[in-house]
Amino acid sequence: MRIRLDADRCQGHGRCYVLAPDLFDADDYGHCVLLVDEVPEGGQDDARSGVENCPEQALSLEQ
Amino acid sequence: MEVEDEIQSAPHASVIVDLASADDPRAISTMLREQRVHTIENMFHLLTHREDVEAALRKPALFTSAPEAVQLGNIRPLIPLSVDPPKHVKYRRILDPLFAPKHMALLDGEVAELVNQIMDDFTSRGTLDFHEEFAVPLPCTVFLRLMGLPLDDLGMFLEMKDGIIRPPGDTLEAQSPIRKRTADTIYAYFEETLAERRRAPTEDLLARIMRSEVDGVTLTDEEILDICFLFIIAGLDTVTDTLDCIFGHLSQNPEHRRQVATDESVIPSAIEELLRWESPVPAVPRVLSEDVEIGGCPMKAGEHVMLLIGAANTDDAAHPGVDVVDLLRSPNPHLAFGGGVHRCLGSHLARVELRVAMREWHKRIPEYELVPGTVLEYTEGLRSLHHLPLRFPPAS
Repeated sequence: MRIRLDADRCQGHGRCYVLAPDLFDADDYGHCVLLVDEVPEGGQDDARSGVENCPEQALSLEQ
Repeated sequence: MEVEDEIQSAPHASVIVDLASADDPRAISTMLREQRVHTIENMFHLLTHREDVEAALRKPALFTSAPEAVQLGNIRPLIPLSVDPPKHVKYRRILDPLFAPKHMALLDGEVAELVNQIMDDFTSRGTLDFHEEFAVPLPCTVFLRLMGLPLDDLGMFLEMKDGIIRPPGDTLEAQSPIRKRTADTIYAYFEETLAERRRAPTEDLLARIMRSEVDGVTLTDEEILDICFLFIIAGLDTVTDTLDCIFGHLSQNPEHRRQVATDESVIPSAIEELLRWESPVPAVPRVLSEDVEIGGCPMKAGEHVMLLIGAANTDDAAHPGVDVVDLLRSPNPHLAFGGGVHRCLGSHLARVELRVAMREWHKRIPEYELVPGTVLEYTEGLRSLHHLPLRFPPAS
């Protein structure tokens, strides 16, 4: 499972990195930075949570 | 019942007011969503579906934040609210880092101290007006601290905020001169503060804004004033509103209160859920730059459009199951802080204030309820409470 970030859509709501800090981080502007390419074993639920809570649909999952 | 009849024929302009002040704004939203767009002649169009609200928030070139969308006595556009891209980007590049979550998280301890100081005044009393004694002073005190302004100015700040957002009078004609006078006071206050800071520099949020540069150029005094003006009207009342909404809900729903009081880890998602459910800012205005048609409804360039945030947040066609409160809801991609480039700049500050307030309050007062016999009255425009009388076992 991989996470995709559409940086143009991210507006810095900050939901992803609060909910799943092992997978997402913030840059200086509060916008999302991906910490992993591949979601590690056991991280699937966190990845889904970060992706699905984004109000801008800036994140998506690839199997 | 009257509200229902009225809306089924055609909503009146006052529906915008009712979405904040109704006991149950969700019921109004449900009725409004039966139609994608409502047009209130010579006033504005209402977008009621999540999909349309979201799309509009993401198209600032079409659904613009032109200055005429928000007129609150200000003589120049509010920064960054009333400025669209490309200029908007310049201001957010300066302001976003100052309000970024990591930066805001550092305020946790300081806010906790303020919350506890405020609580010291009433914990042994066993009763309080939550609105007057907690929800109003907390965000304003945090703001003064952040900006390095004297805490003695609290009363004056509350007058400035209310003079713009809640001026007395029932008509725009009655309210406009009060807004104008208040605006003059705000500009004068910050002009004086800026002059003072040039003489004696400080280290606080205002100082950082004054120092900020984009491409080697600092902001002009007018730009800083227009930012400060927006801070007063956007940053103080909205947190008060949200605190009122959250504690209004918890004081009447003991199972939810217990859930929060017995497990601190519920607090962050409870805040998101009650932001969604209550949508303290129920609508945001936009001005069309071109003709457009949505759901068979033609809209013309220059016309005003209200994006109904509350209706979008409870749109069960977009997200099934959003017609109930679930403090552990996930996913919960609500739009209570707006969306697109104008996403609330202060959202991470607001979240710290709300989180710390909820945590510290429930540590000291886990059990509380509405004073029996109270009929809650929500305010118009932005959803807060006129009063929120609570009672609880007094601390010995």
